[in-house]
Amino acid sequence: MGHHSIIVTVNGAKEHLDVPSNMTLLQMLREKLALTGTKNGCEAGECGACTVLLNGEPVNSCMTLAAEVDGCEVLTVEGLAPQGQLSPLQEAFVEYNAVQCGFCTPGMLMTAHALLKRNPRPTEDEIKEALVGNLCRCTGYVRIIKAIQATAEKGGA
Amino acid sequence: MAALTSDPVGQSVPRIDSYEKVTGSATFADDMQFGPGLYYGRLVRSPYAHALIKHMDASRALSVPGVKAVVMGKDVPNNIGLYLIDRPIFARERVRYVGEPVAGVVATSEEIAHEAALLVEVEYEELPTVFDPEIGAQPGAPLLHPDLGQYEVANFIFPEPGTNISEHFRLRKGNVNAAWSSCAAIVEGTFRLPQIQHVPIEPHIAVGLWETSGHVTLWTCSQSPFAQRDLMAQSLGIPHGNLRVVSPYVGGGFGGKAGISMEVCAVVMARATQGHPVKLRMTREEEFIGTTVRQSLVAHTKIGCDAEGNLLAMETRYFFGGGAYNDYGVNIARAAGYSCTGPYLIPNVQGDSYCVYTNQPIGSAMRGFGMPEIHWGIEQIMDQLAERIGMDPADFRRRNCVKSGQAILTGMKMPPIDLVACIDRAAEAIDWTRKEEPSAKHKKRGKGIAIMWKAPAMPPNPGSAAIVRFNEDATVNVSVGAQDLGQGAFTVMAQMAAQALGVPYEWVRISVPVDTKYSPYEWQTVASRITWSTGNAVRTAALDAKRQILEIVAAHWGENSDDLDIKDGTVFSYRTEEELPLKGMVVYGLPNENFEGWKGGPIVGQGRFMPTYVTNLDAETGQGNRAVVHYTVGAQAVDLEVDTETGEIEVLNIASIYDVGKAINPDLIMTQIEGGAVHGMSSAYEALKFDDVGRPLNPNLVDYRISSATDIPKAIHGGYVETPLEDGPWGARGVGEHVMVPTAPAMANALYDALGIRFSDLPLSAEKIYLAIHDSSKLGADSG
Amino acid sequence: MFARPGLPSFEYVRPSTAREVVDRLLDLDDKAKLLMGGTDLFPGMRDGLFHPSTVIDVKYLPTMRQIDYRPDTGLHVGAAVTMNEIARHPAVTNHYPLLAQAAASVASYQVRNRATLGGNLCNASPCADTAPATLVLEGQVVLYGGAGERLVPAGQFFLGPGRTVLQPGEFMTAVRFPPSASPSAARYLKLGRCKSGDLSLVGVAILCHCDAADAGVRFRIGLGSVAPTALRAEKAEGFLAASRITESDLIGAAQLAMEASSPITDVRGTASYQKAMVQTLTLRGLREAWAQLQEAQ
Repeated sequence: MGHHSIIVTVNGAKEHLDVPSNMTLLQMLREKLALTGTKNGCEAGECGACTVLLNGEPVNSCMTLAAEVDGCEVLTVEGLAPQGQLSPLQEAFVEYNAVQCGFCTPGMLMTAHALLKRNPRPTEDEIKEALVGNLCRCTGYVRIIKAIQATAEKGGA
Repeated sequence: MAALTSDPVGQSVPRIDSYEKVTGSATFADDMQFGPGLYYGRLVRSPYAHALIKHMDASRALSVPGVKAVVMGKDVPNNIGLYLIDRPIFARERVRYVGEPVAGVVATSEEIAHEAALLVEVEYEELPTVFDPEIGAQPGAPLLHPDLGQYEVANFIFPEPGTNISEHFRLRKGNVNAAWSSCAAIVEGTFRLPQIQHVPIEPHIAVGLWETSGHVTLWTCSQSPFAQRDLMAQSLGIPHGNLRVVSPYVGGGFGGKAGISMEVCAVVMARATQGHPVKLRMTREEEFIGTTVRQSLVAHTKIGCDAEGNLLAMETRYFFGGGAYNDYGVNIARAAGYSCTGPYLIPNVQGDSYCVYTNQPIGSAMRGFGMPEIHWGIEQIMDQLAERIGMDPADFRRRNCVKSGQAILTGMKMPPIDLVACIDRAAEAIDWTRKEEPSAKHKKRGKGIAIMWKAPAMPPNPGSAAIVRFNEDATVNVSVGAQDLGQGAFTVMAQMAAQALGVPYEWVRISVPVDTKYSPYEWQTVASRITWSTGNAVRTAALDAKRQILEIVAAHWGENSDDLDIKDGTVFSYRTEEELPLKGMVVYGLPNENFEGWKGGPIVGQGRFMPTYVTNLDAETGQGNRAVVHYTVGAQAVDLEVDTETGEIEVLNIASIYDVGKAINPDLIMTQIEGGAVHGMSSAYEALKFDDVGRPLNPNLVDYRISSATDIPKAIHGGYVETPLEDGPWGARGVGEHVMVPTAPAMANALYDALGIRFSDLPLSAEKIYLAIHDSSKLGADSG
Repeated sequence: MFARPGLPSFEYVRPSTAREVVDRLLDLDDKAKLLMGGTDLFPGMRDGLFHPSTVIDVKYLPTMRQIDYRPDTGLHVGAAVTMNEIARHPAVTNHYPLLAQAAASVASYQVRNRATLGGNLCNASPCADTAPATLVLEGQVVLYGGAGERLVPAGQFFLGPGRTVLQPGEFMTAVRFPPSASPSAARYLKLGRCKSGDLSLVGVAILCHCDAADAGVRFRIGLGSVAPTALRAEKAEGFLAASRITESDLIGAAQLAMEASSPITDVRGTASYQKAMVQTLTLRGLREAWAQLQEAQ
């Protein structure tokens, strides 16, 4: 099976990687770069736990090949804020108890971050629609929606 | 400088684990790094629901480069199990469900292990199958466990060898047969539920390492590190002290990561490749049918009341579809049996609760542990009886629900709770008495109410222990064996330790990961028991540490320790108002005058809690002094609309009120209520589906859908009352499971209010509701 | 029997010309699969439905990701344009809102950033969300193969579940939509097992517009998920063309649409429910589109 030499910018850092053809972006992040914040929940594009931003847009990294992202920019949960700080959304998730087990949280944050970037004042329905691809079994989504609304009200993302 | 919180019990302090989780730095099982020596495992699974294994040949698999070992049932002669030791680790002479592991392949990569697993050859001879538990319980049904009589079993479980009945709980109180004639109204019903699954967002992962020294380590997302150690020690013959279970953060448990399932396979596979850790990872598809599920149920219930609406009699039979192995499921049937009246006072009760082997995935603990299953029928049949006698369903419940001090079905006195207050507040929150107009003429609107109770279902002696240690800077490390599954256990433990010690909440850390080598014992993180049981242990340990500190400082000051206290991390005297910060002295002690010697030393507090008052129940009648430790009760009310042209339901409002004893962290109670309401609502639509030979049809998130953000109710009104639990820390009792128990029957009752159609079988679906509406003229008022 | 962990082995190639794609396809035949968004291909590979030795990524060929619109020639959508790109493009929202609605209804936002129009049509699932809209908008698919380029009307493109008229060596490069009638009104109604994010259990695409020739109103009705392929409910359309478009005419048309459908019972739903929902959704769509058109006139 072939290998591909790719250059991909992850969280602002240029990475030169050698990836097998069948390696997904999710596997690349977790296994080649030890960025384990992005999670494997289903490997079928349904649960959203693997959501990252690819050139600014949320995708399921489990359904994207590493070989495809040559020349692209990837943002993961680890890149939302500089070391030791929290982004406005992360702070809101903490403040509103939008976190329980925490497994869906990275994916939720990436989807929410992209939402607020493209739609800084979303309605409640727009927030819910944006979150359709991020499943949570613990929170019932209530606090996640509130945290996103609160962040939007402050003009954050 | 960040704010510090004094007296945190009762305050909505921020969660102790949120920072790690929002930054993605929280370590879950699949995030742990094991280096280049890590091997990977894949399981070979049975394609048949019931079959003899005639022949197995792993030679082709073993010849694949990179394959290190293939483990089969013949390598693991003993069963494993919690209350009934009925489960092979790898199938030996027969398979009992589609997906049962028959072999494990270990290789240098998951890909190689997968390819090799496809090459393991197994010859099967199919056997007749059992899928319906009621049919399976009949004499003459195909026998799944001919050796049932030889399995070791807990002394409070009563299997019937020669049948598929792994547990039969009998409840006999009063005289049911005589009571019917006094009833002014009697209703009967049959209620059915399919198997459903926990669907934690984190699938099961286990890494086993068997060292040549005989020391064994299991890393896994676990609610029950100590129980898993115990079961493996017994089954595999490893001394407890040589076996270590480590659990990092758990990405959702809901009971599915309690007991033991695939974890032991990883350990046994590691035994075949000693010195190399072996990672076994469930795909989502395997998670659905290859770990554990919630049992199915067929319930036949008959109840009657007098002319004033007082309940007089109940006769009920439960047939739980326990799946292929019932080692944990037997206690669900038992718990259902001793709870079968629901939270009602009924003087005459006859209950028979059966756990039945079926050729389906393993039924085990899932949030509610039998309570969602039985309340589905109980809360509907109560509504039916209320209607028959002409009473409002809320009033019927106010009249008949169990009150403090009453003798319940097992004879035990109901500990203090206030269910009527829960009913009142839930009813008020959805404006119960107001009949409201639907939002369009093709829609119908209805309101329904349901109440619940649950006791922690445990063996009589489940223990918790805690250790409280100080660091030099007076921050505190609390060690517990309890797990935070997302419910907030670590946060409330820290609050309780801080409160009991007299230090700010922010000074307390919980020692993670939970590790049987370093953490003190905890039976399991299940049963909504941690706030109560581990909380007691933590409080005791903190008070022990505090006592030690006060004695040292009192001696240092020449005072009586009764006159001293600690506040905000400073020891002070009520008498002299002198102060001494904890910093330093909690490790180094205090010097005497002129440094003529020292007092004190490192402070380590210890505490334990184990209930000592639970008694046995009579095997014939289920009567006993103290069946359970306590009950948590609650009420939910649902306001919904139905689109009669499509059958789609929109839930407008769920009101959910629980008696929590004491809200250690009010906002965390509310988040549990919210999550539970959505989980309960989602569970009404969920069902594992199988074809007629037992193969799963929907083991994936496309065809087994859980609620997404657009499915949630328009509003959730949560709340609680506080009737203190006598032996709860600050009066607190647990609520984690209870909050999803009554939602489905409350929805069913609301559907009846809206449509006049009763749905006695789960799952609900727009399709089922539509077809019932449009066929109701043909079928009559009841629809299944 | 169960989906495998991760993806099986394969070669990933990214040709830079359409000719190269054709040559590889002819060479590898059914051992090659084309990659657009991967949202059908990768789950299918995990499930063992597809076992390609080579995956050919065609997203980056020139024009595959372009959307162009001219009032006189209509809309040209490259086959690799994503659902989100379609749903928010002004040319689509202004002139082909039916297509925007259909694209916006697919799965989740993440999936829509990868799923493509070409992939959705070529996968030819009976429940493809963009198929009814493409039929109703009378799109033509542009296929490129060994013999060069050919156009196929969408109504002739689908042969059955998972089967299209694509020949060995051929792939879809674009979909062209004729200039849209104005004024017009459109609705895509989709019923899933939950409120959002599901596959379509029943999909109904409605377009109504004024006929330039006789100033009468014409309805077009496309149905998805209720037959081996998406289809036009031609009897219902003809019925409405000859009618005065009263409420009872709309009801009659919805009935005819239901009769045109042939859903099957499977793990997702029963045939009888799906058939009834064709009627419900068609009637709702007809009413809404008709009301909207009347407002616009």
